[in-house]
Amino acid sequence: MLNYFVVGKPIPRVDAIEKVTGKAIYIDDLIFPNLLYGKVLRSKFAHAKILHLDTSKAEKFPGVKAVVTGKEFATNFDNPLVGSPLADQPFLAVEKVRYIGEPIAVVAAINQEIAEDALDLIRVEYEQLPAVLNVEDALKNDRPLVHESFNNFRYSPGFKPVENSNICYYIEITNGNIEQGFREADFIFEDIFTTPSTQHVPMECHVAIAQFNPDDSITIWAPDQSPYGGQNLIAAALKIPESRVRIITPPYIGGGFGGKLNLSGLMPIVAIAWKTNYRPVKIVLTREEEFVSTTIRHSSIIKLKSGVKKDGTIISRYAKIMFDTGAYADIGPIVLGKAATGSLGPYKIPHIKVEGYCVYTNKAIAGAYRGFGIPQVCWAYESQMDIIANKLGINPIDIRLKNIVEEGYITPTEKQEAHAVGLGECLIKVKENMSQKGEGKIIENRKRGKGVACGYKTAKTPSGANAFVKLNSDAGADIFVSSVEMGQGVNTIFAQIVAEELSIPFNNIRVLPADTDITPFFPASNASRVTFYLGNAVKKAAQDIKEQLFKIAQDILQVDKEDLALEQGSFFVKKEPERKVKITEIMKKTYPGGISILGRGTYYQYKLGSFPSHVKVEIPTTEVWMYASQGVEVEVDTETGRVKIIKVAAVHDVGKAINPITCEGQIEGGVLMALSNAMFEELLFNEKGKILNSSLLDYKIPSALDMPEINAILVEEAHREGPYGAKGLGEMVAVPTAPAIANAIYDAVGIRIKDLPITPDKLLRALKNKC
Amino acid sequence: MNCLINLKINGESYQLNVKPNLLLLDLLRYDIGLTGTKRGCDTGECGVCTVLLEGRPINSCLMLAVEANEKNILTIEGMAKDGQLHPLQEAFIEKGAVQCGFCTPGMLLSAKALLDANSNPKEEEIKKAIAGNLCRCTGYTKIIKAIISAAEKIKRREQC
Repeated sequence: MLNYFVVGKPIPRVDAIEKVTGKAIYIDDLIFPNLLYGKVLRSKFAHAKILHLDTSKAEKFPGVKAVVTGKEFATNFDNPLVGSPLADQPFLAVEKVRYIGEPIAVVAAINQEIAEDALDLIRVEYEQLPAVLNVEDALKNDRPLVHESFNNFRYSPGFKPVENSNICYYIEITNGNIEQGFREADFIFEDIFTTPSTQHVPMECHVAIAQFNPDDSITIWAPDQSPYGGQNLIAAALKIPESRVRIITPPYIGGGFGGKLNLSGLMPIVAIAWKTNYRPVKIVLTREEEFVSTTIRHSSIIKLKSGVKKDGTIISRYAKIMFDTGAYADIGPIVLGKAATGSLGPYKIPHIKVEGYCVYTNKAIAGAYRGFGIPQVCWAYESQMDIIANKLGINPIDIRLKNIVEEGYITPTEKQEAHAVGLGECLIKVKENMSQKGEGKIIENRKRGKGVACGYKTAKTPSGANAFVKLNSDAGADIFVSSVEMGQGVNTIFAQIVAEELSIPFNNIRVLPADTDITPFFPASNASRVTFYLGNAVKKAAQDIKEQLFKIAQDILQVDKEDLALEQGSFFVKKEPERKVKITEIMKKTYPGGISILGRGTYYQYKLGSFPSHVKVEIPTTEVWMYASQGVEVEVDTETGRVKIIKVAAVHDVGKAINPITCEGQIEGGVLMALSNAMFEELLFNEKGKILNSSLLDYKIPSALDMPEINAILVEEAHREGPYGAKGLGEMVAVPTAPAIANAIYDAVGIRIKDLPITPDKLLRALKNKC
Repeated sequence: MNCLINLKINGESYQLNVKPNLLLLDLLRYDIGLTGTKRGCDTGECGVCTVLLEGRPINSCLMLAVEANEKNILTIEGMAKDGQLHPLQEAFIEKGAVQCGFCTPGMLLSAKALLDANSNPKEEEIKKAIAGNLCRCTGYTKIIKAIISAAEKIKRREQC
């Protein structure tokens, strides 16, 4: 085991001091001179033609400085459409609205109240059209079409939707011979599982400030997980060079969870900024807008058919996945692709077939949400795993251990070699951490049970990562990267990496906020990829500086490189440790006129041409898997259907915990979020496509009173390419919780819930039916 | 018509001429420039705008500025005294109770109100005291540990 001096230590976060004193800056804390405030007019109908739009009264309202409509913006920019891999979404609706909450026009005024009042003065005449509000209807032959044609859309190769249908994206993956696999099975299991739409509910609502500049470039300040993604989307849509779009992120973001990606929900600000005569304009979404107009998690219907041998070996599995992606694609096709490749579980299954449908409906847009499609499929395969175990009379942990992938196994969907598989250890640690059944006070009508689930997720491949590090003359350092600090602790671990490599004090290293004009490329702080990819780039940048310092130290001490070592901020001669020179001395003596030493780091890990021939659509595969297992103990009240989650043991293979305390924090928070997704959360749509529970009063997220005991346990199965062996974590924490809860409920009362969320009324109904 | 109000914020006296419909939250954030108090829902459900009014936690998005006339208000910016962090602030840092930080100011103030009234709270009492402060990042585990740790710190310091 290598001995690190800051890596692997539970160091308090670098940003904590600003955050506990109220000094941390978020976008809504910024006020610019001449700032205007924007408010968005939104569609009242799920599907309608805009016959007439009259903004004249709003324009004349005192204090209103600009009004923009979809038609006006579209005409000027030649019908700009936003999206990747599929550009199908206007900045503002032009001729049609496709979901309730879709932006139609924006008003900019000298304050929020005036902007809001002016919205009421805009007259819209609609012609309502039949809407399609669920996936199964959307796939029928006589259904209304959300998009009449896909001919005008830009799309990446392989991502054209199916013409004359509501199929936004279809993917099929096969391996082995599925029919043979079912013939050879002793048992066939067929189940249908569903999950609802949910909201991210970051505590900070979406917000942005935008300003057009006299050179026709645009600057946007936004708490966005993907500044380069937003830049690319806007530049491509407006047909301008990327350098004309500058995205600046604040020092801190008040939670993301996938919801603050690619400026989703904020694109109307581009349209209004174009009209304000170079004045900056701020849009802050209300909590209600947050629910109806920012991306949500894909609701899903998953049909799973598995062929199993008597001894519990799974030999064949078919999955049909249907995701409701809402009115526009956003990142839906990629989410579906990830779900499809992860849909069979971390198991060795020779005969497989996966069919995935990403389906348009006239509903709020679904996009990235912590776990990126994997929580939905894990819900299905881990629920069914216990159905299988129960039927065959095998212990749930044993059946998983029997089937899980091992080091070197070529995975059936990605066709890539599994590496650094800590899953077995995760399962065993869960077993050790669960109390024996029946432990605790037994009360009549309250039945206890325990359940386990496991899962895996890939970090996105390919992912380019660049980093600059600047070593200052006082031996402090600045890190220039385009990750964002949204709570996950990236600024802390990057400071640890640079401190480790350069042997300089951790508390004099800072990470700059991402700015596409200054910080180099990184795709997004999502997909659990920051530590692995960008961590490697930061490490390389620090090593670049170290190389330069070594050369200078060699000259000063007059020895060869191999005779030199760097420790505690000093270079010394290995055989004569008293002969040494401090880094600060190097900086001052060698460069008395002052200098900074610049380090560059680039990391790109992806094997070109590695798509297997049997994968019909080219989807990016992976180099890094994260593995986890969680065990849950529940108490079910059979009179009320209420479930009390007593304890969660969450064991996660992180490769190497660069900072164990931030890893634990991610696990504890992610488990509670997943528990909430499983037990409380569901966006309710009425028959007209309107979200009924668009407030925190009606859409409950857990308070401290809802938290169970959560034991966060780390497994470190080092990845050969990871920085110090590290992989990722942020999404995996939210993957196996829901099926572990359902499995525990089954263990307690013999009821199998297949549709999330597991609400008391649902469980009570099932309990009554059972009697 | 504007109203003249007098109030003390973090020990400092202010006399302000405010619109009758101005929210206390907006007064703090925009008129005084204390942006540590956050806005999350405008309906009193999330708790990120929590400040202490006469020592008691309130949602500043649900209170008009005029209602705070002649009152003492403590915001997150006033929690550290003379450059010395409050034990709760120290404990939040040490125990890893901070993630995105957006709920942190309100959370700390609710915790302070609890510890000021009850120096030795049980875990259930802590959970109740912060039940109005939602956090989507931490799962509350480390926040509760930090509040327990702060209570112990305060006790130790009082004994010294």
